[in-house]
Parts: sequence; structure tokens; C-alpha cells
Amino acid sequence: MVTRAPYRRRTAEQDTFLARLFVLPTAGYVIVLVAVPVALAVAYALSDVTVAAPRYDWVGIANFAAVLKDQVFWRALTNTLVFTTLTTLVAVVGGSVVARLLFAKVFGRRVVRVCVLLPWTTPVTLSSVSWLWLLDPVYSPLDWVGRQTGLLGTGASVNWLGRPTLAAACIVAVQAWRLTPLTAVIIMTGLAAIPASVREAARMDGAGPLRRTLSITVPLTLPVTAVAALFCAVFSATDMAVVRILTNGGPTHATEVVASWAFAKGIDGGNLSEGTAAALFLTPVLLAAALAILRAARRVELR
Amino acid sequence: MLLTAVRPARRQLLRGGALLTAALATGCAHEDEGAFATGSLSGGPAEAFAPPDHRLSGSLRILMWSHFVPTHDSWFDAFARRWGSRVGVDVTVDHIDLGQIPTRVAAELHAGQGHDLIQHVAPLPQFEPAVLDLADLVAEANRRWGPQLELCRRSSFNPRTNRWYAYAPGWVPDPGNYRRSLWAAVGLPEGPSTWDELLQGGTRIRRTTGIRLGLGMSQELDSNMLGRALLWSYGASVQDAQGRVALNSPETVAAVEFMARLFRSAMSDEVFAWTAASNNHGLVAGQLSYITNSISAWRTAQRSNPDVAADTYFRPALRGPAAALASYHLLYNWIIPKYASGAAAAQEFLLHYTANYAAATYASKLYDLCAWPALTPDLPTWLGRDPFRAQPPDKLALLADAARWSADLGHPGPTSAAVGEVMSTFVIPNMFARAARGEVSAAVAVADADAQLRPIFRRWRDLDA
Amino acid sequence: MAASQVRRRRIRRRRTGRILVHAMAYGAALIGAGPFAWSLLTAVKLNRDLYNPTHNPLWFHDPPTLDHVRYLLRHTAFPTFAWNTTWTGALVVAATLLFAVPTGYALARLNRPWTASLGTAIFLVYLIPPSVLFLPLSEVVSRLGLQDSAWSLVLLYPAVTIPVSVWLLMGYFKAVPGQLEEQALVDGCSRLGAFRRVMLPMAIPGMVAVVVLAFILSASEYLYALAFVSPTAQKVVSTGVPTELIRGDLFYWQSLQAAVVLVALPIAVVFNHLLARFVVGFTAGTMGIGK
Repeated sequence: MVTRAPYRRRTAEQDTFLARLFVLPTAGYVIVLVAVPVALAVAYALSDVTVAAPRYDWVGIANFAAVLKDQVFWRALTNTLVFTTLTTLVAVVGGSVVARLLFAKVFGRRVVRVCVLLPWTTPVTLSSVSWLWLLDPVYSPLDWVGRQTGLLGTGASVNWLGRPTLAAACIVAVQAWRLTPLTAVIIMTGLAAIPASVREAARMDGAGPLRRTLSITVPLTLPVTAVAALFCAVFSATDMAVVRILTNGGPTHATEVVASWAFAKGIDGGNLSEGTAAALFLTPVLLAAALAILRAARRVELR
Repeated sequence: MLLTAVRPARRQLLRGGALLTAALATGCAHEDEGAFATGSLSGGPAEAFAPPDHRLSGSLRILMWSHFVPTHDSWFDAFARRWGSRVGVDVTVDHIDLGQIPTRVAAELHAGQGHDLIQHVAPLPQFEPAVLDLADLVAEANRRWGPQLELCRRSSFNPRTNRWYAYAPGWVPDPGNYRRSLWAAVGLPEGPSTWDELLQGGTRIRRTTGIRLGLGMSQELDSNMLGRALLWSYGASVQDAQGRVALNSPETVAAVEFMARLFRSAMSDEVFAWTAASNNHGLVAGQLSYITNSISAWRTAQRSNPDVAADTYFRPALRGPAAALASYHLLYNWIIPKYASGAAAAQEFLLHYTANYAAATYASKLYDLCAWPALTPDLPTWLGRDPFRAQPPDKLALLADAARWSADLGHPGPTSAAVGEVMSTFVIPNMFARAARGEVSAAVAVADADAQLRPIFRRWRDLDA
Repeated sequence: MAASQVRRRRIRRRRTGRILVHAMAYGAALIGAGPFAWSLLTAVKLNRDLYNPTHNPLWFHDPPTLDHVRYLLRHTAFPTFAWNTTWTGALVVAATLLFAVPTGYALARLNRPWTASLGTAIFLVYLIPPSVLFLPLSEVVSRLGLQDSAWSLVLLYPAVTIPVSVWLLMGYFKAVPGQLEEQALVDGCSRLGAFRRVMLPMAIPGMVAVVVLAFILSASEYLYALAFVSPTAQKVVSTGVPTELIRGDLFYWQSLQAAVVLVALPIAVVFNHLLARFVVGFTAGTMGIGK
């Protein structure tokens, strides 16, 4: 007991020094490159600045008030919440399944793994352009298959992106398709970290694979799954490429999200201060969602 | 390490893939010559050069769009460099996708550094505080070549501040494109000339052949343009001549009701989520009987579906109860930011470019038209006998007086930043779309759109004050 | 009798289990790679084959052609773009690992009073959409003289990849059993030594995930690349390809699909190799799936 105390003191001092050494460079880097622009962005939102930039006049919260009065913004906010929630659900559930499949010993598993990774490894601008053709009202291969199998009449097409609800479903589907490999990889690496002893013990108990999954691996990977859900939510909520390329927010703002609307208003339209104000509305919403996910995960973890 | 990890099975796969590629490379088909439009076109007009008034030096950095005709970009890049070497200026030209130009310009203006001369395919009134007033340049151009085309002048001048926020040497018209065989079958071989003819003919074509017509009501460029064309034809407009919001009027409601009827009779709901390329696709695939577009759709068809191209003809703006007016398809705006060190060189280059606009028109396959028509004396000849294999050769002849039936975006008022924001937020296409889909009545759609416009106009007006 | 019945039932259950797993695996592969298979086919189609809506989009009606792939490789600057994406991505990954690994460890294991709030703060900062940040950042970039250089991306992208990587690694470091580290400390290692000798090797799956994530985030990013880099020689794939192959309302569809395949496939193959080597084989046994 006597020999223990000095050992802990030594590492306590080392710990502080090490912690500072390990964390401060990162914190400094991120603060300069992110926090400073964020502060500037907040300054924009509180002014009447435009894309042409030279003048700065304080207007207080007038922009935020204007954004809240904008019907299109409310549509965009609702869409963002709905799309993000659905995308995250699909991608996390799908990713959990795929993560286990990535371990599975199936015939040709190397090819299977590459195939499963592909949606995430393409730059989002390029994969969205591919989907533009796949959902084209004239040339869509999906429509062609429908026509061949008789599900669609001759010359008919589904008009995937021209119908409000269907277009929204397509956006969610493309986002989920794109993000599932990401959640799968994150969960997969979490699964790999489960000590072999735990799994062996479960198998010895005679539990079937499904029971093992539900009662052992799911709770153990819950922190990692929560992180995967968090990233999925953040990446789909702040993404504007898929919407801009596929529908540009249409039809009649049915697929408009805050990120695309803020850009259309602020950059394309020149109304920078109002666009920035709209984009900043996302942050507290995402923060609330993030905290909720993390708190739920921690509660399960502690149990 | 990677090599040793490559198992025999994978090596076999690689070998198979290599064989497949080799097979493709040797025994496969080729596109027609001219499918890619690379290199430069032969037969263009000679290049004129006038030495600049003052000695130039330094560098000139130009940013412009990737022209839909690649030969134009090859010609332009070489043209700019030739000029640069003659006057002692180091010229570089960068191209980006047209949708990305406003983003890039905003970034450069905020950084206070970037290109000296930037071109966009639509007016840029929102950047007026940060760019040079080009009054002298425009005055010099008018002195040399006569008065500028009215719609180009109005799309580069702010009457409220009396400043020229851009230089507009060229534009692209937006005629109607129709399929002659289909329209001849319903008794209109020259295509529709009024909106009512469009409605009746289009309906009959749809009933007999199932082929629809396509007027976009989507959040994209073409929809903005044709929406305004319809409004003007009915005597309606977004703003009045003084720049005040004037959308909510019986004329506008009539126009919206007409569009709703047109949609129900002759269109499908694909038109609600079109991209700028969608009406091109529909035409080339033979699935649309009428669209409004520049000649780009037909030029594409020349390469990918020559039968449709031969059957596609052009019409000027459709006539409505009040007028026959269409918007332009593109309007070139060149701006010089205040931070530009190469401003003098930029202005001299613009004069040189304008003087040689005939070459630009030719290199763009008659897509770009000049704001000073005297500079393109061969244009009527070219339009009457297309150097690029139009069938029949005089297909483009009607574009010779396209300015007569084209108007600028803000018509009858000025093209202001408010007008630009209205464009970027797609108020007009969505107004038409909501009524066409029956979500709301035409009157409500118009009233809602009007209510959306007012805060935008008020804000930009407050800024100006 | 009963024992053999039980055994037969177990064998049957295992077989249906195997069939089910195979079906799901192939189904997932089809969903993931279906669009790419289509891209591969489309990249070698003739115009008159592709632009005819009656033709089969899933196979060839006219013979295939390499003209469009040749156009991509020879008449656009695609090789330059691909090279720029690769080297900026590699540097961004290196920078991300360099910053995020120690930080993730410190926030997970070194319990200082400020680590919890800093961890949250680092993540918060990521919730601002880049569409808001890119304008203020243009000022920073130009003041550093990095405007129009691909190096501006190497400087900026880690700010995007580090926060998420820190959070990812925090999870992995937390999952390492405390006894392993305690053991090393008792054996006389300093904290830094324990970190290097015990924690790092245990967190290799997490680091692989960070490599995959950071590279793809870097290759996928387009807004900063658009705002800060305009010369063709410095562009990356995500901005360069649309510029050269989307001209107004004309899309060079076949060349675009060729670009998609040429970018996505090598990345997927390399990452699959990384995952197979460092993650799937990481543990002593398999998950017992499909056995």
C-alpha cells in the first residue's frame, strides 16, 4: 500500500502534462479554423451583410426573425428533421446488419465487401450525378425494368423526382444508401473490439446467434452504434449535395433542407445574412439530437 | 506487402479484367466524328487586333463558365493567350461549372483576392458594391460600335445608383423548339405561334400520340425563364417599371390558370423536378413535342439522335393576350472586382473580345449572339445557312431578330439584386407548380408568391438607401 | 433417438442460417454495387445506345466503345484531379491521425476535469454546416497566401475530419479494458509508454476506421475545394469532374460514369484490404457467423 501512493502521484503529474500535450494542439487547430469562422458567421447573421461584403451594419436579430417568418424555411427545417431521422434509422439498422455480414464467411466475401463499401467511397457529387440518371423521368433503368416486367404501362415512367413525397423518399434512400457503409464500418470496428473471451463465453452458454447478438453484442457495441448514428445524423443533416444535384430542393420545396435553402438564399440569392441565420438554426437542433442520442446510449451502457 | 497479400484468386481476377479491357480496346465500336467537339473549328472569321490605348503589363486572370460547346473554350483560351502575348500581359483562363460561379465569386470577394475578370451567364447585380463601375468601358464600346442591345444594357446597369455593375457583350436567346412532324399532324406545320395554339395543338398531340410537351416548373434556370415569358405574354410581371412588386394582378392569375390548364391537358408531373438538362433529354429521346430552350438541345440531338434533330425546328416567343415576349436563355455578365490588379488589362481585353465577337459566335456554333449586332455582319448568312450541318440549312434563320421578341429578366423594371434573389429562390416556378398541381387555387398561389417577394424587395431597397 | 433428432434439427437450423446469411450478403452487395455496375456498363456505351429510351439500359444494344473513357483520360484533366485527390487525402489522413489519436486517448483515459467539456466542445464545432463557414474561411485562406493552391485543402480538411475522428477514437480507447493499462503502469512504464505499447495496438481497428473516414471525407468534400481552388492543375476530383463534364445543360454521362468507377473502385478495394487485414483478422476468432 505504501509503495502504491507515490506511483499514483507520479502518474498524476505526468497525466496532466500528457493531457495538455495531447489535447491542446488539436484544440488550438480546431478553434482557429472552425470556431473563428463560426464567430464570423454569427456576426454575419446579426448584420445586413450581402455577398458583396464590404459594409457591415448591425441589425440585431432581425434576420432570425425574418427566417422564422419564412414558410419555406419551416418546410426546410421539417424536411431536415424528417430526412435525417429516417436516414439515420435506415443507415444504422442497415449498417448493423451489414457490419455483421462483413465478418461472415460467405463465398466471394472479398467481392461482397468491396461492393458493400462502394456507396460510401464515391465522392458525393459524383454518386449523386449517377442517381440523377438512375431516377431520370425519361431514361431511368428502374422505369425500364418496370416497363419490361409489366408493372408500368408502355411509355410510362414513375417520375421519381417529380412527385413531392416520392422525391423525398428518394432523397432519404440515396442518403441512406450512401451512409450505410460508413455506419457499417464504424460498427464493424466496434464489433472487432469485443474481446474474444466474452464471445466464447456466450457461445459456451449455448445461446443461438440471434440471442447472442441481442443480449451480448448489441449492448457492448451500443457506444459505437451511438457514435455511428451521431455521425450519420450529422453528415446527412449538413449535406446539401444530394438535394442540390437531384432536385435542387424541388418539387416546390418538397425536398428543400436547411443546408440547401440557406445556400440558395445566402450565396445564390446574395442575401448572405439571412442565409447564414437560417443555417445557424441547424446547430441547436443537431446539438439537441446529439445530446439525446448520447444520453440514451450512456444510460444503456451504465445498465 | 500488398503484393504478397494478393491471393492467386485475385490475381486471376485482375488478369481477367485486363483481358476484358484489351478486348474492348481492340474489337469495339467508335462514336461518330464530331461527337466530342474537341479541337477547334475551321472556317471562322479572321481575328482583328487593335493595339490598346495605354501600355499594359502584369497578369490577367480570367474566370468563366465551361461553355456547353467545348470548341468555344478551346478557341477562347487560345484567343486570350494570343492577345496576352501581343500586348505583354500574362493571361490565364480558368473554367468552372456555371452553377458554381456565384459561390466562387462570393469566396473571392470575401477573400479580397482572386481573378481579375469574371464571367457569369446571368446578371450579377448583387455584387455591385464590390466591383468596378464599368461606365467608361461601356461608353467606349458604344463609341466604337454603336448602341448596345437594350436587353443587354438593362442587364448590366443599375439606374438607381447609375452604375454599370457589369459588361454584357453577349447573350443567348430562348426560342421554342418543336417537333415539326408532330405539329404538322395537328395542322400547325410551322409550330405554335400563340399560347392558345400551344394548348390546343399540344393537347391533340398528346391525345393522338401520347407525346407530351415540356414546360418546366422546377427549381432550375429554364423554369424561371419560361415562367416570366408566360407572365409577360399575359401582360403580367414580377415588378413594374419603377422596380416595385407588381405580381398580384388579374393578369398574373390568368397566366397561372392558363399554365394549370396546359399542365393538365398536355404535360406530366416530370416537369416539377427537372434539371437544366431534363428538357434536352426529353427532346432528344423524342418524348417531348415542344420545349423552350436555347439551341443546345438541338445541337445535342444532332450528335446523339440525328432523326429528332432533323425534325426539330424553332419558333419565336409565343403570343399571349398582351405581348409576345420571351426571356433570354443566358446573358453574359463580365465583372471586374475592386481588388483586381489587372483591371486595366481586363477592360482592354473585353474590348478586344467584343471586337472579335464574330469569332466567339462561330466558335460557339451560333449559340452566343453579340450585344452589338454590327460586329457580326456574317451572322444572318450563318443563320441562313448553318455552317454546322443544320437540316435544313436555314433552320436558325429566325434567330436573326431574336432581340425583337426577347426581354431582360426584370422587364419592365431594372435587373436588380432583388430580381436576382427572386430567381435564386424560384418563387415564380413554384407559384406555377402549386397551382398546376392543384395544391392551391391560382389566386392563392399568386398571392403567396407576391407575399414572398415583398420582404426580398424591401430588404434590398433598404440596403440601397 | 432424441439426441440425433436434436442434432438433425440443429444442422437444419444452421443450414437455413447459412442460406439466410448468404442471401443477405449478396442482397447487400447488389444494393451497394448495383448503381456501379450500371455505371461500368454506361461508361462504355455509344451515344446512340444510351440516349434511346427503348434500349436496354442494363446491357448493350450497340457494341461498347472506349471513346468516352478515352475522352475522360485524354481530353479532361481527370488524371490531374485524381492525383490531387490522392495526395491531399493522404496528407489529410496523416494529419488527422497525428492530431486525433493522442486527443482521443487523452479525452478517454486521462481524467482531467476539463476533458469532458472539451470533448463535447470539439464535437459541437462540427455541427455548423460548411455552407456557412466557407466564406469566413476564404479570408483566412487568402491571408495565409494559400488561395488557389491545393495546400489550402490540406490545411482545412483536418479541421473537418479531426473532430469526428476524435469522437470515434474516444469510443475505442474507452473500450480497452482498464486492467491492461494498469498492468503496464505497474510494470514500470510511464503513461506515455503505456500509451505507446498497450493502447495504440489495441486501437488499431479504430485507427483504420479513422483512415477510411478521413480519406473519404477529404475526397468527397467539394464546397471548400470549389471556393479555394480554381486553377485546373490544382483541382480535385469532386470539383474538377463536374466542371469538365457538366457543361451548362449538357452532361457527358458516359465519361461521368467512367470517372465514378475509376474513383470509387480503387478506394473501395484498398479500404477493403485494410479492413480485412486489420479489423476482420484483428480478433482471435471469428464472430461465429455463418459457421
